Amino acid sequence: MRFIIDILVAFSVFFAFAGMVGMIRMPDAFCRMQSSTNIATFGVLGVIVGGILYAAFYLHDGGMTIKIALLGIFYIITNPIASHAIARGAYKHGVRPEKKMVVDKYGEDLVEEE
Amino acid sequence: MKKIKISAVLSTAILCFIFWLLITGQIISIFRGRPSTQVLIAGVLVSAAVGFFSGRFFIHKKAFHLLGARFIYLLQYCFYIFPQELWKANVDVALRALSKDLPVNPGIVKVPSNLRTDYGQAMLADSITLTPGTITMDIVEEEGQVYYYIHWINVETEDPVEAGEMIKGTLEAWSGRIWE
Amino acid sequence: MKMAELCFFAICFVVMALCLLIRFILGPSVADRAVAADSIDILSDMALILFALYSGRSVFLDIALITALLGFIGSTIVARYLEGRL
Repeated sequence: MRFIIDILVAFSVFFAFAGMVGMIRMPDAFCRMQSSTNIATFGVLGVIVGGILYAAFYLHDGGMTIKIALLGIFYIITNPIASHAIARGAYKHGVRPEKKMVVDKYGEDLVEEE
Repeated sequence: MKKIKISAVLSTAILCFIFWLLITGQIISIFRGRPSTQVLIAGVLVSAAVGFFSGRFFIHKKAFHLLGARFIYLLQYCFYIFPQELWKANVDVALRALSKDLPVNPGIVKVPSNLRTDYGQAMLADSITLTPGTITMDIVEEEGQVYYYIHWINVETEDPVEAGEMIKGTLEAWSGRIWE
Repeated sequence: MKMAELCFFAICFVVMALCLLIRFILGPSVADRAVAADSIDILSDMALILFALYSGRSVFLDIALITALLGFIGSTIVARYLEGRL
């Protein structure tokens, strides 16, 4: 059991590391957002599942188990909303990538509306 | 002021009360047979107040839509279908970030969707945003057809229908099955 | 029995959060800083969860729940401000 928990948490650390490297290396703001989603999905999920197993089978503490599960559900529900809101707000505020994007349908349609 | 629907208030209040039970740890006390009456009464009062004031923001049509077979579909979606997509996309983006020459090819594509209800559209948009590699920027409705603007880290095709197939995969069919 | 490696993983998460401060300082636009702050919030929450498990005290979980809530509200408000509707 201890081995399984270690594997889960190390898996989570690996994906969080990949997301962090992506956030530092990616060329423009929107690609950095994609890497931050990487942190917020698998970087969280491994710790949550491992923590549930640890709290339930080692600590025998029901309250902690339920709180960790609630934290996981909370992250999964709220993160896409915040990410979408920041992406749209940044685009409307005028953040554009330095390198030209391959195709930009949203920008074309925004220009047409005005 | 809009008329307050009883079902909206009731369902929001029930959800708040379940959350209260979980976060105060009372649900374990109930299973052990000695719940604290004061905490339960405070929870009922607070969740009734929250439901009364904010129920009309959350529920627009049918309040108890999810009960029944749709709930089974929702569980199946959350624990079996969606994690597969999540796994594929996560490995893809992680390898992209860690590889040496950083192969990104970003762009924003416009994708049509067949979903009708608000909840279905919201759930598909959330699923797309939660998958690494794609972010939903906006949802518009033009001449009765719903379009999604999606930022995609590796644009392989610009054709709307083909891009929709590649991004949405099986998610759209499941979302429709749950919410329509 | 205590699992000491949980503490080690928590330190890994804290170090990654400190590395993200680079992006927070460099970031050319406001959106970069908002996303970096959100990610730092998530990583420090993970460290708090692991430390709560290691020490067996559930106070840290309450702190993690509050930080998650405040981070979500903060980034949504930044997004609304950028869009010009605040």
